[in-house]
Amino acid sequence: MIKKKKDEFKSKNLNFSMKRTLAIAFKTINQLRRDRRTIALLSVVPIVVMLIFGLAFTGEVKNVPILVDNQDNLYTHPFPPIALHLGPNITDTLLNDTSVDVSFGDYFNGIDAVEKGDYYAAVYIPANFSEQVVKMLTGDNETVKMFVYIDATKPTIRASILGAIHDALDSALGEKGIKVVQILAHDRAEFTGLDVGIPSVIAFVIIFLLLIVGLITIVREKIQGTQDRLYSTPLRSSERLLGYVIGILLIAFLMIALVLIFGVFVFGAKVQGNVFLLIFAALLFGIAHVFMAVFLSNFAQNELQAIQFAPLTALPSMALGGMLVPIVSLPAWLQPVSYVVPLTYGINLFEGIMLKGWGFKELWLDFTVVAGMCLLFFVLAVLTVRSRMRD
Amino acid sequence: MAVETEYVIETKDLVKIYKTGKVKAVDGLNLRIKKGEIYALIGANGSGKTTSLNMISGALFPTSGEIKVFGYEVPKSRRLITNYIGVAPQDYSIYEDMSLEENVRFFSLIYGMSKTEFEPRFVELLKILRLEEKRKTQVKNLSGGMKRRTSIACSLIHSPKIVFFDEATVGVDPILRTFFWEYFRSLKNEGVTLVITSHVMDEAERADRIGLMRAGKLIAEGSPEELKRKHDASTIEEIFIKLSEGEIIDD
Ligand SMILES: Nc1ncnc2c1ncn2[C@@H]1O[C@H](COP(=O)(O)OP(=O)(O)OP(=O)(O)O)[C@@H](O)[C@H]1O
Ligand SMILES: [Mg+2]
Repeated sequence: MIKKKKDEFKSKNLNFSMKRTLAIAFKTINQLRRDRRTIALLSVVPIVVMLIFGLAFTGEVKNVPILVDNQDNLYTHPFPPIALHLGPNITDTLLNDTSVDVSFGDYFNGIDAVEKGDYYAAVYIPANFSEQVVKMLTGDNETVKMFVYIDATKPTIRASILGAIHDALDSALGEKGIKVVQILAHDRAEFTGLDVGIPSVIAFVIIFLLLIVGLITIVREKIQGTQDRLYSTPLRSSERLLGYVIGILLIAFLMIALVLIFGVFVFGAKVQGNVFLLIFAALLFGIAHVFMAVFLSNFAQNELQAIQFAPLTALPSMALGGMLVPIVSLPAWLQPVSYVVPLTYGINLFEGIMLKGWGFKELWLDFTVVAGMCLLFFVLAVLTVRSRMRD
Repeated sequence: MAVETEYVIETKDLVKIYKTGKVKAVDGLNLRIKKGEIYALIGANGSGKTTSLNMISGALFPTSGEIKVFGYEVPKSRRLITNYIGVAPQDYSIYEDMSLEENVRFFSLIYGMSKTEFEPRFVELLKILRLEEKRKTQVKNLSGGMKRRTSIACSLIHSPKIVFFDEATVGVDPILRTFFWEYFRSLKNEGVTLVITSHVMDEAERADRIGLMRAGKLIAEGSPEELKRKHDASTIEEIFIKLSEGEIIDD
C-alpha cells in the first residue's frame, strides 16, 4: 500500500521541463515589456553610446586652422641637371586636405596667433627648401628642414596636423624621396572611425544591457518574495536560470539588432566576416553576462543598487577592455588586468569578425575564454540560486 | 486499517538558526499534523511561525532535526511533494506588474497544468475568492486584501493536498473571512490538510487544533476546547496573552 503511494508521487513530471522554463522566459519578457522606464533606458543607451564612440572618439579631426608661410624658391641644379620647386606642391596638397584649414601669412605673426589660440600651428617652408632637397639627393647635404610651431596641448589635433604635413611632403616628393607604401591588411579592409567603433559598442551594449536587465529581473523576484515562493514549487534551479537566459537574451537580441541596423544603415558600418558567427559570438557573450548578473544579484538588495552595478562594472571595463585605449597602449602593470576584463574578449571577437573578417580558426582562443566565462558564471549562478535556501 | 491516523506532517526536534542571526528562530519543534486537519500555529511576532512553515514546505533548509511530509523526508525529497502542497506566504509574493490572471496562470504553468485544466479551476477560484471582476487587473492596482486573495489563488490553483497559509487572512474583511472559512471546511472535507498561522484569535478558535509557539518552541497544543479547559480560560486570546507573557507583542 505504501509502495503504491510512492508511485503516485513520482508519476508527476519532476524532470527538467521545457514548459516551466518557457513559462519563466515568457514571464520575464512580459515584465520587461511593461517596464517603460527600463525599455527607454535600453533603447537610448545603445544609440547614445554609438554616437559618442562613432563620432567623437574616432581620432578624426576636421578643419583645424593652420597658417602656412611658404618661402620656397625654384632651384635649378647645374650638374646633374635637376629643377625643383616643391613649395607650391606642398601647399596645394594641404589646401585639399580636409583635416586642416590653411591660411597663408607670415611665420612670425603665425607664432603669435598660435599663442593666442587663433591657429593650432604655423608652418614655415624655408627659401632654400627645394635646394636642400636636391642637395640631399646628390649627397651634398644630409638633412632638410622645415619648421612647425605647433600647439601640443591637444594630442589628437597635433597628430592630425603632423599627419597632413606628412601626407603633403609625401605627395610633393613622390618618387624622388622616401615613399611609404601601404598595403592594407585583412583583404584591404579600410574603415572609417564609426566602423571601428561599432564592434566595441556591441560588446559594451551587451554587457551594459544584460547586466541591468538581468539584475533588475532577479532582484525584483527577490524583493517581491516570489523567489522564495518558487522554492516550494516543482520549478528547478536549472529551469529558472535557463528561463531567465532565454527571456533576457530575446530582449538583448532586439537591442543588438537595433545597434547593427542603426550602425549599418544609418552610419554605413560594414561586416567583413560571417554574420552567423557574429550572432553566435554575441549569444555566447550574452549568456555569460546573464549568468554574471544572477551571481551579482547576490550583492544587491534593491533595484537601485542593481542598476548601480551596471556603470560600476561597465566603466572600468571600458577603460581596461580596449574600448577607449588599445590594450597595448596601457601601462605595462595594468595590461594583465585587461585579460580578466570580459569586454576585452568581446571586443576581440566582434572586431575580429566584423572588421578583419576572421573566423573560428583565428578566434578560437577568445571563444574558449568566453565559453569558460559562461561555465564559471553558470556554476556561480546555480550556487547563488541554491544558497538562498540555506540562509 | 490502523494506518487511518495518518500524519501528513511530522517534525522532530526541528531547529533553525539563521546564518545572519544568532538566535534560534525555531528551537526543537515537534509537530504532528493529521490528514484533513485544520491546524493553527499561533504565537507572538518573531516566535518562529514563518520559519517553521518555510522549512516544512521545503523552501528553507533546517539547521537540524527531521521533517516528514507525506512520509517523505524534507528537504532531501522535497521535490516529490511540491506538486501536492500549496503555499501562500506572509508577504503577498506575487508579481505586481502582471495581471491577476497572468499571476495565477504563471503558477499553473509551473505546476505543469494545461490551459484546459487551468480555465475551470481558475474560474472556480475567482468565484470563491470573489475576484471575478478583477481578473484582468494589474496586481499593483489591487487593494491589499485583493492581493492577499490573489496570492491564495496562486497557492490553490493546482488543488494541493496540504495548504500552508501564512497569515493568509490578514487584510481580508470579516465578511469574506467567514466565507473563506466555509471554503476551508469544504477543503477539509475533501481530505485537504490546512496549516495556517494567525494573529486573529477568533480565527484560531475555528481550527481543529492549535499550536502555540513561543521563542521557537511549542508551548501548548490541543483543540480550542481542550486548551480552554486546561488553562481555565474562556477565550483563546486569554491563553495567548497568559502564555506569551514576557514576550514583546508589537503587533
Ligand atoms: N531571513 C532571516 N534572517 C535572519 N533572521 C531571521 C530571518 N527571518 C526571521 N528571522 C528571525 O527569526 C525569528 C523568527 O522569525 P519568524 O519570521 O519565523 O517569526 P514569526 O513567528 O513568523 O513572526 P511574525 O508573527 O512577525 O510573522 C525572529 O527572531 C526573526 O528575527
Ligand atoms: Mg511570520
